[in-house]
Amino acid sequence: MFGDMTPPARVAPQHHFVEHGGEVEVELEAEDEAGIFAAALDTFTELVAGNADGESMEIQIGLRGRDRTLLLVDWLNELLFRAEVEQFVPRHIKAIELEDETLQATVVGYRGTPRPLVKGVALNRLAFEQEGGVWHGRVVFDV
Amino acid sequence: MSGTVVSSSTSELVQLDDTLWEIPAASRADMRVPARVFADRELLEAITAGRALEQLQNVATLPGIVDAALAMPDVHQGYGFPVGGVAATALPDGVVSPGGVGYDINCGVRLLALPLSAEELGAHCEPLVHEFSRAIPAGAGKHGPLRLSSDELDEVLRAGPQALLARGIGCEDDLVRTESGGCLPGAEPGAVSARAHERGCGQLGTAGSGNHFIELQRVDRVFDRTAADAFGLGEGQLTVLIHSGSRGLGHQVCTDHVRIMDAVQARYGIVLPDRQLACAPASSPEGRAYLAAMAAAANFAFANRQALAHAVREAIRRVLGPNAARATRQVYDVAHNVAKVEQHGGRDVLVHRKGATRAFPAGSVEIPGDFAHVGQPVFIPGSMGTSSYVLAGEPGSLERSFGTTCHGAGRTMSRTRARATIGGAELRRQLEAQGIVVRCPSNRGLSEEAPFAYKDVGHVVSIVERAGLARRVARLVPLGVVKG
Repeated sequence: MFGDMTPPARVAPQHHFVEHGGEVEVELEAEDEAGIFAAALDTFTELVAGNADGESMEIQIGLRGRDRTLLLVDWLNELLFRAEVEQFVPRHIKAIELEDETLQATVVGYRGTPRPLVKGVALNRLAFEQEGGVWHGRVVFDV
Repeated sequence: MSGTVVSSSTSELVQLDDTLWEIPAASRADMRVPARVFADRELLEAITAGRALEQLQNVATLPGIVDAALAMPDVHQGYGFPVGGVAATALPDGVVSPGGVGYDINCGVRLLALPLSAEELGAHCEPLVHEFSRAIPAGAGKHGPLRLSSDELDEVLRAGPQALLARGIGCEDDLVRTESGGCLPGAEPGAVSARAHERGCGQLGTAGSGNHFIELQRVDRVFDRTAADAFGLGEGQLTVLIHSGSRGLGHQVCTDHVRIMDAVQARYGIVLPDRQLACAPASSPEGRAYLAAMAAAANFAFANRQALAHAVREAIRRVLGPNAARATRQVYDVAHNVAKVEQHGGRDVLVHRKGATRAFPAGSVEIPGDFAHVGQPVFIPGSMGTSSYVLAGEPGSLERSFGTTCHGAGRTMSRTRARATIGGAELRRQLEAQGIVVRCPSNRGLSEEAPFAYKDVGHVVSIVERAGLARRVARLVPLGVVKG
């Protein structure tokens, strides 16, 4: 689905935005599954982070689900919810534990003024898969 | 002209008439009805550049869909349904798809007409736009002026803007001049999740970000004087256009119910080409629960625009005085993202409008008495810095598009490319050089909404007029814009 890619020795979690005529589509890449969640967090932060930093915060996120693609959506939805009701802007994952059906994470960030850009995380074109030793994800945000 | 064929990226389009093209149902084994798009060749070129028509073909696979999956001329790629898409499903067992309404349930526009002209406003223009920006919070977590208790929020979900009248927010005349009176039937606050309640309780009276805005405008040209008179509009007059929706509450309702339907649709034997189209029969428990929650979110959105209009009137009072505020009248309020039970072709259908506007013609029982002889008002915002249009519904909309017309200009360029093409500061300078007052806290947000990222709204409107869906009544030009 993502073409023939030769994996580098190490793949730091990364994301890049794909041309999309209406919404925001992003492709994620990492050397392991946890890295896809980190890359998704980086994407979310890039979309919502405002200019001003506030007090540092740490939040716990616990999710359950067998389907990794839906877990990725739930992860982003949780960040979206925390941004809206707690004004939490994530910086990075401090710790993450990913089991077959659960995700437990500690996320470090700050209380800020997140942009109200993201409305939802769609199931359209959603992907979470391994190819050529590298993990890939894809998410479309409604903005 | 009929029979001309153009290739899209996915299938061949057959030209049916001057403004209507079709991908036949036979082009894909899973399509139940044809996919049709209102456009001319030039717009079709822009439309076929993205995945919008492939998405429209996916919509044509929905169980119970009747006649055709339709795309308005402003259609562009969305995240399941294309934005600018219309689908009607036969009741009681045709499906309801939350993705066919979208995350921003009842995103829509409200137009206010001020009792003075741009000339009379004179040097008050910048202070007035500035006062709008002070009065209207935009952002996520930016709490609005109204803090509602849980019971008060539930009353808004049940009754819409009617629930705000006792607080002095809006008046009865506003309700009459709102689609469906500002209250969709069947709304159940209990069908809205605790998480949605939590997101919504502080957001009434906030605009949101992206393409949401409050724009001060001048009526630049009247095309249909009879309809303009009925709408209370005349050349040179000031108007304010408010574009917003159901904020986090509606977004959460969509999120919740897409997931519910994704989990249960196999039980109903539904197989879809796109997971975001997740659906269930409208008569099923899941379908009924979504419709009850969607109606509640739609009522919240009507109330939100009512609260925003109140903030605008208060700003007018502070800058221009109480008489100007009192005489500022609502023209109408229309929804862009909603599913409604309507009768078309002698049967009850559930019309999904995703980035599309109801446009009932003169004589329709659902439009206010003042407009009954001219047709329902429709507002088509252009891209930032360009014109917007006031239209009136035409009989062709009932004959050809389930009483629907377009909703805007329609994007042609990604936000990423728009940002790469022009910086926000430069765009701000260009708009100000045109005499447009700009209030936007984010240069990035500004550049993402650059005018060149959209189709020409005048061209889009000319297509719906030629197609007989709606006719032009007036053109509005911007004097100032407030964006989130």
